[in-house]
Amino acid sequence: MELEVHINGVIEGLDAVTNESLLSLLRREGYSSVKRGCETGECGACTVLVDGIARPSCVMLASQVGGCTVSTVESLGSAEKLHPLQSAFVEVGATGCGFCTSGMLLSAFALLQNNPSPTEEDVRDALSGNLCRCNGYARPVQAVLRAAALLRGERVEPLAHPTVSVDEVSSVATEQVASGESGKHPILQTSAAASGSGGVTTKIPVISAQMLAPSTPVVPAPRTQLHVIGTATAAHHAVKAVTGKGTFAGDFEPRKMAYARVLTSPHAHAVISSIDVSQAKALPEVLAVLTYKDVPRTPYARIERTGETSLLDQYCLDYVVRYVGDRVAVVVAETAEVAEEALRLIKVEYDVQPAILDQRRAMEPGAVRVHAERESLGIVDAERNIATRVRTEIGDVEQGFASSDHVIETEYLVPAIQQAPIEKYTVTTYFDADDYLVVRTNSQIPNYLRRTLAQLTGLPMRRIRVEQPEIGGHLGLRQHIEGEDLCALLTLATRRPVRLEYTREDEFRSNHVHQQYILRMKTGVRRDGKILASQMVVFADTGAYGTHALTAQSHTVHALALYPCANMRFLAEVLYTNHAPASLSQTYELQHEFFALESHLDDVARQLEMDALALRRLNWLQAGARYPLPLAVGASRGMNTIIDSKGLSTCLQLVEEKIGWKTKRNQRKNDRYRRGVGIALGFYGEPGVLPGTSGASIKLNEEGSFELFAGRSENGSQLTTYLTQIAAEVLGVTTEDILLHAADTSSTPFENSANDVVSFYLNGSAVKKAAEQMLRQILSVAGRILNVLPESLKINHGIIKGAHGMQTTLEQVAQHSLYVENRQLMTTSFWKGQTFPMTFAAQGVEVEVDVETGGVRVLNVVTAIDAGNPINPMLSEAQIEGDVAQALGLSLSEEFFYNQDGVPLLKSWSDAHVFSATEMPELQTYLVESHEGSELFGSKAVAGLAFYGVAPALANAILNAADIRIRYLAFTPERILRAIHAYMSRKSA
Amino acid sequence: MSVPAVFDYHPVQSVDEAIALLQLYGDEAKILAGGHSLLPAMKLRLTQPEHLIDIGPIPNLAYIRKEKDAIVLGTLTRYKQIEQSEILHKYYPILPEGTALIGDQQVRNRGTIGGSVAHSDPAGDMPGIVLALKAQLVVQGANGTRTIAADDFFVDTFLTALEQDEIVTAIRLPLPAPHTGSAYAKISNKASHYAIAGCAAVLTINKKGLCTSASIAITGASTRIIRASEVEAALISKKLDDATITSASSHAVANADLISDIHGSAEYRQQMAAVITRRVIMHALERA
Ligand SMILES: Cc1cc2nc3c(=O)[nH]c(=O)nc-3n(C[C@H](O)[C@H](O)[C@H](O)COP(=O)(O)OP(=O)(O)OC[C@H]3O[C@@H](n4cnc5c(N)ncnc54)[C@H](O)[C@@H]3O)c2cc1C
Ligand code: FES
Ligand code: FES
Repeated sequence: MELEVHINGVIEGLDAVTNESLLSLLRREGYSSVKRGCETGECGACTVLVDGIARPSCVMLASQVGGCTVSTVESLGSAEKLHPLQSAFVEVGATGCGFCTSGMLLSAFALLQNNPSPTEEDVRDALSGNLCRCNGYARPVQAVLRAAALLRGERVEPLAHPTVSVDEVSSVATEQVASGESGKHPILQTSAAASGSGGVTTKIPVISAQMLAPSTPVVPAPRTQLHVIGTATAAHHAVKAVTGKGTFAGDFEPRKMAYARVLTSPHAHAVISSIDVSQAKALPEVLAVLTYKDVPRTPYARIERTGETSLLDQYCLDYVVRYVGDRVAVVVAETAEVAEEALRLIKVEYDVQPAILDQRRAMEPGAVRVHAERESLGIVDAERNIATRVRTEIGDVEQGFASSDHVIETEYLVPAIQQAPIEKYTVTTYFDADDYLVVRTNSQIPNYLRRTLAQLTGLPMRRIRVEQPEIGGHLGLRQHIEGEDLCALLTLATRRPVRLEYTREDEFRSNHVHQQYILRMKTGVRRDGKILASQMVVFADTGAYGTHALTAQSHTVHALALYPCANMRFLAEVLYTNHAPASLSQTYELQHEFFALESHLDDVARQLEMDALALRRLNWLQAGARYPLPLAVGASRGMNTIIDSKGLSTCLQLVEEKIGWKTKRNQRKNDRYRRGVGIALGFYGEPGVLPGTSGASIKLNEEGSFELFAGRSENGSQLTTYLTQIAAEVLGVTTEDILLHAADTSSTPFENSANDVVSFYLNGSAVKKAAEQMLRQILSVAGRILNVLPESLKINHGIIKGAHGMQTTLEQVAQHSLYVENRQLMTTSFWKGQTFPMTFAAQGVEVEVDVETGGVRVLNVVTAIDAGNPINPMLSEAQIEGDVAQALGLSLSEEFFYNQDGVPLLKSWSDAHVFSATEMPELQTYLVESHEGSELFGSKAVAGLAFYGVAPALANAILNAADIRIRYLAFTPERILRAIHAYMSRKSA
Repeated sequence: MSVPAVFDYHPVQSVDEAIALLQLYGDEAKILAGGHSLLPAMKLRLTQPEHLIDIGPIPNLAYIRKEKDAIVLGTLTRYKQIEQSEILHKYYPILPEGTALIGDQQVRNRGTIGGSVAHSDPAGDMPGIVLALKAQLVVQGANGTRTIAADDFFVDTFLTALEQDEIVTAIRLPLPAPHTGSAYAKISNKASHYAIAGCAAVLTINKKGLCTSASIAITGASTRIIRASEVEAALISKKLDDATITSASSHAVANADLISDIHGSAEYRQQMAAVITRRVIMHALERA
């Protein structure tokens, strides 16, 4: 039908079919700022304004907007002239991956139209329909309040991003200051001495005054010589995000696209005894149908493995299906609807097999084998369903337990969850004009994809090009091959561009999940609290395939090392089951270990009747100590085992103070609402040399700007911002002068980092090295222009200065080298995997438990992270807040359920129980600046670290509040209530 | 799927027009109001009407009016209007209170009370509130207009007493007797906020402090919207002290068919129905 719609102020006459949603109409008309996160009205990514009211456009028919006014984010403001809301989002760092940003901005805009002076609660309510998985909502809320004030014509305070500095371990700082040992920082010395205690300082006094309690001295840290590093530079893609210009995997439509849908297994374990696709193939507009009969049975892995081992246990399409949601067949048709219809016409007979739906059963004698096939390679013990295992031990653990006064054993369970980024899995493959097979996908493994697709399609690698658009949240779910192989095979079969886009239900059913872990802790302690022996045994459920079976377990870093002792043992069995295969969290996969360890430590403290923090301080890993679990898996790699970070004790001191440990630990506890506090610690780093590499290239343009080519794209972790800051710092320019090109196998360097932490160090260091080389080239050209030695020159703000006021500009250098010397200045560098510095964190949580309903209200989450010298304190804080939000979901409400037949029960966002803006508690985040840092300007990766302490701190706080210990995540009201009832009946018995 | 199956779209300008179309297409037609329940269900192929009759364009169906003996809400009255209605805040705060707890702001911007009532989702809030308020549902069909008492309206999960050619046009709430208090609360899921267990209570107290009328409905816990008759019976003619309320509330879902799913087990829902019923009764009592 024909419609007349006012879109962004322009009257458009449009044609729509009756069943078309407004979302689809808008995207078809090129308004790609309107995103698709579910299409069932639950996530808000598709929010638009219809006659000024914020609405999800996916549950409105195009036909319904005839005569209406529709506004998308494109109407708010452009990059040249941002609306104050957009500027505020940029300034406060409210854009994570940017996928939810347009929707949030429109909800906020509608709010401010009606209510120019909203309260924080009003803002949270207005954003309640816009789910975000990146930033924990604090920053968007802050941005809206800020913009509202500006729009009312009020003055707003400049933004400040204080960091807390530690020069020495704070508890001994007084003595050192008194004896003048901190002489290199005179300001610190005098002020700290004046107030007579610890070494906690902050850079920006205005904020720090209210931030730190009177007991903690507040003094500005010494100014460093850096110009770009350490500043709150706006996120690299922020302006794009707020203007709706971000291009994600679904924002690209080659002409004549065909659409793929996958038929998936209804059974947890079955053999396909017959499959008939003739009717599906005969359906008009169906272009191709593939089953296992059409593809070679080549075992492959869906994930890059940079180590020595390799585990090949997957097949493009197989006659054995190993989980509900596993691939059976794939159809491509002119439309997704026809493809879907064709799926229903495929006749499959299954020979249903017994299934393993609990990893504890996997190793039992007589258990069915998940991988009985001969072709798979690298499985440690297929007979017992052991995909892989890790064992590491020092000292004599049994003897250690024997000589302990107390031996405490506890078991923990961390259930599967799904990371559920707001953007859905999307891949498009097509042949370009040069007959290259182009793959555009939101899986972040371009080089591995290229190599694997070459194997699976038979095309030479040179004819495959993988482009990585921006990623609408990575969260660990976008680090494997999900459907690229199928999509490529379909393009090969049809010579047509093919898109495979999951629905939200597909994401939950077929995509990977964050695996379930069972952990057994055993600790032997002396009466005074000294740990004499410790052991952690992990049973990981890798699901049907070992996609990430090795990744998580093969770090040399393990939580247990936080409390070193002479006798330690870490064991992990990674087991096959008939669940969805396991993926990762975004960074080091340690949250389950810290949940077990840090809950367990409080149990040990209780048994000893000791203060839980005193127990930690007695046993923890200290600066100068040796990393205690060396040669775990890294036996063949180099190790750097001396711990140099001193941040942990400052972090803990800060959190102890901010959460009110001393006063709130012992509150009255007999009414309906009971409050308690809990604290947990965490750390990561890589004492073993990691395999892996990355490259970077930089080219100087004739106007004095730089093209920077790097291997990894933006995924919400702010890597691209950090990279431009690093290059700008070295080259003496601003980030606007750095034009970044990321992750396109045809033009950017190789990189294969395993996660956001590794990628921070690998890519950051490669960029730094390339920039340093570029600087040397620039200075030598400048030296020739000015006729001086390059060593005497310095660059700042694009101007190269020598002695006696002589100077030249970058532009002059570029032009001189191009047109006088006839050379293009260009550098390339690479960086090898190395050991990474340890980064520590302390987190405290205050909760209120409703003992009638089991509801847990989180009142406050305090996080202090030893961030070295953070590259961008604003974005680091934003990232930490996002990690806390994720961790709260994991701890309190998210859980991946299966029924007794292994059928996943999550279908939509409503089933996922993720936090919305109205549900987030107060977050307090402190970056503790330590000076030992890393070679990367002393900065450390903070990604993911704030994930670790939340669950155990919550567990400890609940224990403190209600005297119940729950060792199973998530702490749903129902589980809490059951524990409370059990506790009460125990007490009355 | 991103699009519902194909259907014909009929925006209508009047109730009569809608009814004529309902008659014409019978089972193949469905009414579209706010669309927050219907369109997702169509995309998920839970329902596949061939004709969609959009009552959105009908003028004058979104209103909140006080008449002589009743407060009347037009079927297209949006949650947002209810939340902000002074009349309702004064007479029946239970309604604004209930709507404020629904989903998120975007749902409340568009969702309609008539749509929610006609949808009869056991996890929805409006059906229970309307039941506790002893509303009369004004429905219009080929045979003219009739009113259906809320007690007769909610038949089962997603099933009402509406005839195939009828639509809800208004919801009439009898004016409260003096010293009547009403309240609603629920235990709900994260983000979607659908009820795991909720209770709507309307109580009238006489001068002696005895309960003269009690109307209690339970949402979320059971597979259909239910009246908690045993709770009501245990309150009537009693002085509502803590012990009476607590013991009455323990019967909140007596004999009900309880939901047990990933959001909450039957056992938990039963316990929560009791807890929330007690809390809501106390709250309604404060307002009486
Ligand atoms: C993310 C999300 C969260 C939600 N959370 C909640 C919540 O917490 N609590 C809650 O109660 N609800 C919740 N809902 C549901 C919401 O309240 C729906 O809007 C409501 O149930 C239906 O109203 P509607 O106007 O959108 O109706 P529609 O979706 O348009 O229609 C619903 C059904 O009623 C029929 N219908 C509509 N109007 C009439 C009429 N006048 N006469 C006859 N039949 C009619 C339709 O044919 C359809 O079958 C949520 C929805 C979403 C998407
Ligand atoms: S709400 Fe429309 S895409 Fe999620
Ligand atoms: S920024 Fe919100 S989902 Fe990524």
